[in-house]
Amino acid sequence: MKDQFVVPARLKRTSFVLMGIGLLTLLIGLFAFHGEHGSTRFWAGLLQNSTFFLLIVLASTFFIGATTLAHGGWQIGFRRVPEAISMAVPYLGAVLFVILMLIVFLEKEHIYHWINAHHVAEDPILSWKSAFLNKGMFTGFAAVTIGAWILFTIKLRRMSIEEDGWDLSPATGRRIIWRNTVMCGGFIVIYALSVGSTTPWLWLMSIDAHWYSTMYSWYTFASTWVSGLALITLFVVYLKRNGYLPMVNEEHLHDLGKFCFAFSIFWTYLWFSQYMLIWYANMPEEIVYFKPRVWGEWRPIFFLNLLINFITPLLYLMKRDTKRNYSSMVFISIVIIAGHWMDFWQMVGPGTYKELVFPWYELGLGVGFVGLIILLVANQLTKAALVPKNHPYLKESIVHHT
Amino acid sequence: MAVKNFVVASFDDEAVLFPAVKKVRTAGYKIHDVYTPFPVHGLDHALGLRETSLHTAGFIYGITGTTTALSCMSWVFNSDWPLNIGGKPHFPLPAFIPITFELTVLFSAVGMVLTFCYLCQLMPFVKKHIFHPRQTDDLFVMAIEVTPKTNAEELKAFLASVGGQQINEQKAEAGWWYGRYDREDRLFEQKAGTVNA
Amino acid sequence: MHLKYESTLREPLVDGEKNYHQVTEDIISPIEAKPGKLWYVGFFISLLLLAFGAFSVTWEVYYGTGVWNLNKTIGWGWDITNFVWWVGIGHAGTLISAILLLFRQGWRTGVNRAAEAMTIFAVMCAGQFPIFHMGRVWMAFFVLPYPNTRGPLWVNFNSPLLWDVFAISTYFTVSLLFWYSGLIPDFATVRDRAKTKLRKLLYGIASFGWTGSTKHWQRHEALSLVLAGLSTPLVLSVHTIVSFDFATSVIPGWHTTIFPPYFVAGAIFSGFAMVQTLLIIVRKVLNLEEYITMGHMEAMNKVIVLTGSVVGCAYLTELFMAWYAAVPYEFDTFYKFRAAGPLGWSYWIMMTCNVITPQVFWFRKMRRNVAVTFVMSIIVNIGMWFERFVIICTSLYRDYLPSSWGYYRPSWPEVGFYMGTFGLFFTCFFLFAKYFPVIAVAEIKSILKTSGENYKRGMEQYEGQSAEQFEKGLHHDDHHHDTHGAVAHAHN
Repeated sequence: MKDQFVVPARLKRTSFVLMGIGLLTLLIGLFAFHGEHGSTRFWAGLLQNSTFFLLIVLASTFFIGATTLAHGGWQIGFRRVPEAISMAVPYLGAVLFVILMLIVFLEKEHIYHWINAHHVAEDPILSWKSAFLNKGMFTGFAAVTIGAWILFTIKLRRMSIEEDGWDLSPATGRRIIWRNTVMCGGFIVIYALSVGSTTPWLWLMSIDAHWYSTMYSWYTFASTWVSGLALITLFVVYLKRNGYLPMVNEEHLHDLGKFCFAFSIFWTYLWFSQYMLIWYANMPEEIVYFKPRVWGEWRPIFFLNLLINFITPLLYLMKRDTKRNYSSMVFISIVIIAGHWMDFWQMVGPGTYKELVFPWYELGLGVGFVGLIILLVANQLTKAALVPKNHPYLKESIVHHT
Repeated sequence: MAVKNFVVASFDDEAVLFPAVKKVRTAGYKIHDVYTPFPVHGLDHALGLRETSLHTAGFIYGITGTTTALSCMSWVFNSDWPLNIGGKPHFPLPAFIPITFELTVLFSAVGMVLTFCYLCQLMPFVKKHIFHPRQTDDLFVMAIEVTPKTNAEELKAFLASVGGQQINEQKAEAGWWYGRYDREDRLFEQKAGTVNA
Repeated sequence: MHLKYESTLREPLVDGEKNYHQVTEDIISPIEAKPGKLWYVGFFISLLLLAFGAFSVTWEVYYGTGVWNLNKTIGWGWDITNFVWWVGIGHAGTLISAILLLFRQGWRTGVNRAAEAMTIFAVMCAGQFPIFHMGRVWMAFFVLPYPNTRGPLWVNFNSPLLWDVFAISTYFTVSLLFWYSGLIPDFATVRDRAKTKLRKLLYGIASFGWTGSTKHWQRHEALSLVLAGLSTPLVLSVHTIVSFDFATSVIPGWHTTIFPPYFVAGAIFSGFAMVQTLLIIVRKVLNLEEYITMGHMEAMNKVIVLTGSVVGCAYLTELFMAWYAAVPYEFDTFYKFRAAGPLGWSYWIMMTCNVITPQVFWFRKMRRNVAVTFVMSIIVNIGMWFERFVIICTSLYRDYLPSSWGYYRPSWPEVGFYMGTFGLFFTCFFLFAKYFPVIAVAEIKSILKTSGENYKRGMEQYEGQSAEQFEKGLHHDDHHHDTHGAVAHAHN
């Protein structure tokens, strides 16, 4: 059985080329953007990409956590894939943390208005919020949450690799289930309290510092979760195409497809609930968020967002055959990731650099992040067997039928 | 349909049923139907049945619901009786979504259930021949039609050899008719009253 | 045919030595027996409650809604609280039958039939409240979209209350269809083993002439899957639309974007609690402990702690945003009139029952304790009733105009009406438990050989095998090549 991944030279080369494009874009950005406005775009692009890509690789840890707690068996055959993806969390976490700290301590006030002490003093709303929106709180939350994600991710991965050295007896199986359940339970609580609440408030919602929406974090979560599922699908298909993961077949792919389908609809549901309620009540303090996005320059993106992230997966994944076909799943996964990248773009852009321009800079950075993720994940995949051979639910994954 | 002759065999285990189905089919017998107490996965394919298109019907009903809801509401708000309600536009799409969604689901569900009942001839007071009273309990009952070419005795022996039990011959109406389950209808004596499927 | 295998680490879903016939016997025989004394007592009490409810409602219709303690400030009180509460309870049934079907959670087979029945009865109870809140109930058909007699003036399609009309009626219809299509094969089972003529006649009518034909089963499975696929967004939409009743307004405490998913989570939370309450009794009275096992109850308790925590997160989010928003009305509603103020006690009951107490279910011992589960299921439903009370009344009783401030307690017809819906609910449920198969017989049979205790013993032989050996064995065993990979699929 082909169980040990070896990074093909081509993949390595591709990842370096992509990272090179990213780096080049960053350099061009550094020199091409001038003045206050240029600097805002420079940092906004970095913020958008680093939060998006960190949260979608973190979705893999969440995938492991959620399926473990639900006692899922079907995903064990490819469990090493989300594990490997999740191991990008420490690196991307570090990148994001550095970017956040630079934005805050270089006082990029066009990203976060609440950074500027003068603004805050003159603005009664911002001074009211300053107990939460301040540098100390921001740094503290970022350090604690990113730190906790990294710790849990590494711990879960280590445990899984360690279990390869154990045996196949039911007693061991019980032990594996138990300790994974406990660890995942801990992670899910942390995840819910960070990604499900404070994290998106601080990193993204505070860009529009006056504005608020209780749904915002759950909505952000849905966006990154469905993209994370698409990312897992891409790597599973890549490995399968290269002759790995012999136990994974269309049945597993079908289930990943169903997940992408279901959570695309779930995202739309949260999107609609947030938008419709704000549109319906039409209160000045809330509608301000949608002013530039729906009735301003960003209007095309608003509709494109819905078209790519809702209509496309809905119609495309409705049929059984598309969910069971490797090529079509690759196509839709790329669409989903690109679509939600765009969603993050329209979350960040209108509040920072305001005008709608062709996002060559943002896209270039995104390509760089993709290269980085490919490199990190490919490297991680080589570090352990591709099948957790002692996992007690592995055989359920083998006989799995949708 | 009409009253026909059947050779009926019962199986008490899926593991025996599947090879038996295969052998009976390769031997060239035409299986009228297999009656099971619960859905046995893969049996439809083993019998060579084609995939059902019920979902496609459901999709079409759903689309019909969507169109009905959207067109009715916009007709009412735009041409039949335009009203200014809270300054909202006459085509307030976000506000139309909930009703549109509900009607999509309603049309699709009701349409599919009716189609299902129609295709399977299910209705109150409909009666069909039950080959074995335990086919809804714990037996898998296979009925093979006896055509003029079939040698019934040979078939019985063959079924016994593939694991069939309680093998017998029954003369029965293959379709449905209006009737009551507390009464024995002697259909083959009054063919004129048969309602054809 | 595929190898029927499931990890032996998983608890069996059906305990004891069972074969297909025994399953039929265990589940159908209570229908054929005379009900016990307890059944009659319970049924009689339910009828009494129903009668009292009917009396209270008649009183209200005769004298007008003025007999309720509602006024200009508190326009919605117990009535809408009860409406939302009952609708919410209904959600667990659909969740179990639809969402868990899609997620292939085998344990749903033991509880789905009763939970779906509960859904239908709960929605019936819920519907009473908005109807009788109209006062002149004979005008109730005004909510339907038809051009009325004073010119072609239509209903307002912008109104969330009208969305509710569509949502609740669709939900009721689809749940009923889903439930009944599952019942048809089981009614046929009752019919074919019936000894009395009357039973043969009635179950014969109810079973629509079902025979168990392979083609019919294939369509039946496709139908169930698509109905499950439709019911999943439907169940979300129903409580979402109920939440829109509040959230589309501009009343502080009502207008918040998190309401839709938070209402749905709360609905599932209370629904599962009600399923627990009912099934703990049913499994005992009908001797179905081998089908509704501790494992089933544990799984449901996990859902309860999950949804309870989601609801808890939403409460805290709301509370935080009420401060963060920097809107004085929002702030006052939460911090002065909800968490404090004359009705503040209700907020703390809600917090305790919904967020704090369910946390006991993090512990396996507690999840598997029948007494704890039963008590918790009641606490959760009290908590969820108060959640709706808090949302409705504590947002209303402090008007923008302090001269309109008031306090609210229900009058006897309001309480009577609520008790009456309990009567309706339990009357229906008692009849269901007596005359219907309370567990989906056919579905239990289809999981029996994978998850039945006696069959699982046979799977121990595989547990020591490595993945390679196991896979090799699979291909070796597979004589029927044409059936390989050909499971009955329905796309969804």
